[in-house]
Amino acid sequence: MDVIDRGGAWAVVGAGPHGLSALKNLLQLGIDADGYERDEDLGGNWNFHAENSRVYESTHLISTKPFTQFPDFPMPDDYPDYPSHWQVHRYFRAYADHFGLLDHLSLHTEVVNVVPAGDDRWNVTVRDRHTGEETTRQYAGVVIANGHNWWPKIPEYPGQDTFTGEILHSANYKSADAVRGKRVLVVGAGNTGCDVAVESAQNARETYHSTRRGYYYNPKYAFGRPSDQTADLLLAMRLPLGLRRVMFKTVLRLTVGDFEKFGLRKPDHEFFETHPIVNQQLVYYVGHGDIRPRPDIARFDGGTVHFEDGSSAEVDTVVFCTGYLARFPFLDESYLNLDGDHPVLARQIFTPSTPTLAVSGLIQPDSGQWTIAHWQGMLIATYAALRERDPRAAQRFYERMVAETGVRFTGGTDYKDSTRHYYEIAHQEYLRAIEDDLHALEMAGV
Amino acid sequence: MAQRRRPSKVMRLWDWSVPPAGVHREVLSIVPEGWHDQPRATRKPPILFVHGLAHGAWIWRENWMPAAAERGFPVYAVSLRGHGDSGGRTKLGRTLLRHYVHDVMQTITELPQPPVLVGHSMGALVSQLVADRYQPRGLALLTPAPIQGAAYTLPKLVRRRPGAAAKVLVGGTLPLGAEQLFTGLDDVTAARYVDRLGKESPWAQYELMLPHRIGPVRCPVLVVGTPDDRVVDEAAVEETAAAYGVEPIWLPGIGHDLMLDAGWEKALSVVLDWVDERCG
Repeated sequence: MDVIDRGGAWAVVGAGPHGLSALKNLLQLGIDADGYERDEDLGGNWNFHAENSRVYESTHLISTKPFTQFPDFPMPDDYPDYPSHWQVHRYFRAYADHFGLLDHLSLHTEVVNVVPAGDDRWNVTVRDRHTGEETTRQYAGVVIANGHNWWPKIPEYPGQDTFTGEILHSANYKSADAVRGKRVLVVGAGNTGCDVAVESAQNARETYHSTRRGYYYNPKYAFGRPSDQTADLLLAMRLPLGLRRVMFKTVLRLTVGDFEKFGLRKPDHEFFETHPIVNQQLVYYVGHGDIRPRPDIARFDGGTVHFEDGSSAEVDTVVFCTGYLARFPFLDESYLNLDGDHPVLARQIFTPSTPTLAVSGLIQPDSGQWTIAHWQGMLIATYAALRERDPRAAQRFYERMVAETGVRFTGGTDYKDSTRHYYEIAHQEYLRAIEDDLHALEMAGV
Repeated sequence: MAQRRRPSKVMRLWDWSVPPAGVHREVLSIVPEGWHDQPRATRKPPILFVHGLAHGAWIWRENWMPAAAERGFPVYAVSLRGHGDSGGRTKLGRTLLRHYVHDVMQTITELPQPPVLVGHSMGALVSQLVADRYQPRGLALLTPAPIQGAAYTLPKLVRRRPGAAAKVLVGGTLPLGAEQLFTGLDDVTAARYVDRLGKESPWAQYELMLPHRIGPVRCPVLVVGTPDDRVVDEAAVEETAAAYGVEPIWLPGIGHDLMLDAGWEKALSVVLDWVDERCG
């Protein structure tokens, strides 16, 4: 097969926010780049109609604009504090239009194979999903930004195959139509699980919400301000973790109240040890009896679900909001230094065995995402620019990076052991590290 | 790894925790006919003008915008909050430079592609702060407010215009008259322009006194000064140019407001020729 040599260009897999940011920053730093997106439109997870989009009709951001937006392309002033997924998608389109990314982006083009071509270069094979035609191009580097929230992780409980009702993963939950008028069990207390539980409380006949443990349910607003902005103010003041924990728990106690009095379980862990849940309505519906909290599932039996506390419920529909796993079907995953089922990288970006294969977006910040997407893209692009200008300096930088493979940015806490925290980062600590790396690259002459 | 050399451009802690609220923005524009249909790669880049202390978008509309549009440039000018016909006048007393940066960033996101930023006086400083977070097509700084901080000019101001100095210190707007802004404009026109000047935020004025450090700017930079400027002295222009490693262009005979003063055509052609040559 003919291979088209793209010289010093980099390939970017995926045109969600991380792919767009990588593409834009590469181009802005003078590195030619081709983006590939398997869907008809850009936006990744936020492109509602895409096959692999996991947003539902009611999805809104759970972090506010200031540190969720790209820092060099703020969201419009007339967007609300917590924009909807429709607004988010419009925003990504505006970003791509403004920076002229569409000229460098192939839509409905799926990356099917990424293989080394020697000399740290990569052959990337793509398939046009309209014509089925395959093309292979050779690149100086590859940025993988295919997302980690699209491959559903489905749990298995005893007797699950005997269940007579319907089992759904949140991956296929698009609107309240899935639960309207039914007896529903929502499993999982991630942000999706809580959203779906609330939506079910508003639309279903009965709603049970099964969670493995008690959590801290944070309000979107406290004392008239978006609570994440207040949280960032405390972080900016560099208050110690212990003090911040006390302050957060006090604020929760004052604004939401004692979770146990609502019939929710007491959290079995410290604040910041699990990914923050931001949901002001869940506790409200629990208080109205429209959401009935339950512990983990013990087993299924026909139309009945038995829980670990011995209680049971008759349900028609189970919605597993049990999260997603990262998948890289176009790549020999050994390049990603897998630990079991998840990659272990340097800065959660650089692969330890290959200097020209970077991953963007394999993060789950305790804050907004796309400010970090911007700086990840900037770091990769600046590194790529240095490789072109001074390969030896770039190699030295890379080796310093990979010496820190697996170092996590936890803000001093121990995350609970769960697939959900594979990619968790404390955003301010992470960004400070990225900033130091950028300085090092700038010193090296980019 | 590296030493922190300057205030962080990554950690925008104030903008994250106490973000500026949006206000109505006056944005004037002239887009030459057919510009949108031209190929993006070869058409002339948009130009976004940012005015200075107590001025407004109108200063660009008088002469420069029509003339630049005539040369094929799509031109835009924003009034910073509390200035011109933008909102936020009642909150001017609580306005900081970062609010102005917010207003310029919002305007940029509405443009069809990255613009050349042209900032005048305090607007030149705002433009540099914008360029610290957003890579414009080019950055033109006209009679720029001193990047080293204007505090060093205070003794001179106290000596020459003690009343003006006292007013600024207590939070009043720096008084600007025809004798400061123009050299060769007829009295009637000059008076008309001076009449249109508004108020400035006391906090923004104080911030002008402080030194500002900007990170590496990866776009062409132009610095224009005039030896006949009675607001911004030559040292300010030279220091700003040095910060970007460029030589300033001097335009003798024109006053501080070089987009309004007699001779504005010459100043404009310096800017547009530079855009054509360096920001194509």
